[in-house]
Amino acid sequence: MDDITTQFEECLRRHLRSAKPNPINYDVELVQLGLDSMTAVAVLMDMEKTFGIRFPDDMLVEGTFRTAGRLKEAVQLLRERQAS
Amino acid sequence: MTRSLPDQSLGPEWTILELLARGIIDDSEVQMVRDLLTTDTLKWGELLEQALRHKMFPMLAHQIMSASLRFDVPTNIYMHLESALEWNRWQIEVFRRETVRVAQALADRGIPFVVTKGMAFESTLYDSLGTRYMNDIDFMITPRDRDKVMTVMQELGFRPFFDWAKDARREEISSRLNPDHLPKLAREIDQPGIRLIDIDIANSLTWTKSPFDVPVEEALENPVEQSIPGMSGVSIPCFRPIYQFLFTVLHLFREAWLQKFVESGTDVGLMKFGDVIRLIDRNQNKLTDSELLRIMQTHGVTDAVAWVLRHMDETFHTHAVELLALEKHGNEKLLRSQMRSPGYVNAWSESMRGRLQSKSRGSVQPVAPAHRGS
Repeated sequence: MDDITTQFEECLRRHLRSAKPNPINYDVELVQLGLDSMTAVAVLMDMEKTFGIRFPDDMLVEGTFRTAGRLKEAVQLLRERQAS
Repeated sequence: MTRSLPDQSLGPEWTILELLARGIIDDSEVQMVRDLLTTDTLKWGELLEQALRHKMFPMLAHQIMSASLRFDVPTNIYMHLESALEWNRWQIEVFRRETVRVAQALADRGIPFVVTKGMAFESTLYDSLGTRYMNDIDFMITPRDRDKVMTVMQELGFRPFFDWAKDARREEISSRLNPDHLPKLAREIDQPGIRLIDIDIANSLTWTKSPFDVPVEEALENPVEQSIPGMSGVSIPCFRPIYQFLFTVLHLFREAWLQKFVESGTDVGLMKFGDVIRLIDRNQNKLTDSELLRIMQTHGVTDAVAWVLRHMDETFHTHAVELLALEKHGNEKLLRSQMRSPGYVNAWSESMRGRLQSKSRGSVQPVAPAHRGS
């Protein structure tokens, strides 16, 4: 696992009850892993802090964090934007 | 609405607040409140704490003042209640002026809107006695006017409340993820005892992507003009009674049914039900008309409305379901559920009465895992 994956999954596990003991399935909807509207805010804030990014307004929509895969793509994109 | 006296199993303090919340309607209730307030076993700390939690401090104060209980209440408590009532009256006066200021600015730009909740109810349901507490001033607009309204509010000196929030980024993200409201707005003012005025502007009767909603454009049609006490010749637009009822009930449903409000402890309160009881009491003819049922059925909100009214009837011994002919509506599974995230619901088995009285609602865990639902 690369660095971002380890940190990304640790971040998810901190907030999602059902994600803790199991490998994270990147295609499953995060609500099935325990995401609700309160934890969604907490996850996004934690991602911002962990990766030093800031989700722009147009990414603060449900589609950004529907699955772990979608959220990881968004985090990677923001990291790349920041690096360039 | 007729109603029986509440049972006193939750103690005199809770019984007093239940009676006040649903509105004192006859001499037997006046006497019951009086007897309970003067009982030797009354715990003042518990009564005051619950009155604060349910935003009923000014109402409790008014009841004690108007029942001439000056010498039956501990002096320090009486004096504090008296000050709290006076302060609430002052805040309402300041809020009225601000409401008119914002309303005029929106009207000048031709933006459709109504004033909702506390400011709309204070004079029509609570007789301008200064007993209805409010944190902020509420407006309703259409989603298409969000940007225009934001511009107007900034011109009036308001800015997003994030600036004053404990955790600004959390507020900002939360507000963006839930575009059923504009970000909460606030303005600093220089008035004795009041530092900030908060304005809450909604653009949905419920919430983003709610399966239960009434189009806001329809609800804003043909508003009624409501006069403002103490301001001659000035009025504000408010929902007409059927939509006022639908908004108030669906708003209560939103805060009661969505898990996030339970977790933040801002879900249900006695006065939220008190508003619904008074709305029905004062608009019975208009609400028992077939138009209400037709609108509810057209928009598929009958079960959500029945959810609120059934819990209300069980808790306050009212007969709203029967009065509005909703006996055949309401879904048992929905009635015992709580929405966690869009599309996912938990079972919920508590009584509404127990939930209202509980001081630790956020710690209540779902009784079963979430499953796909409404």
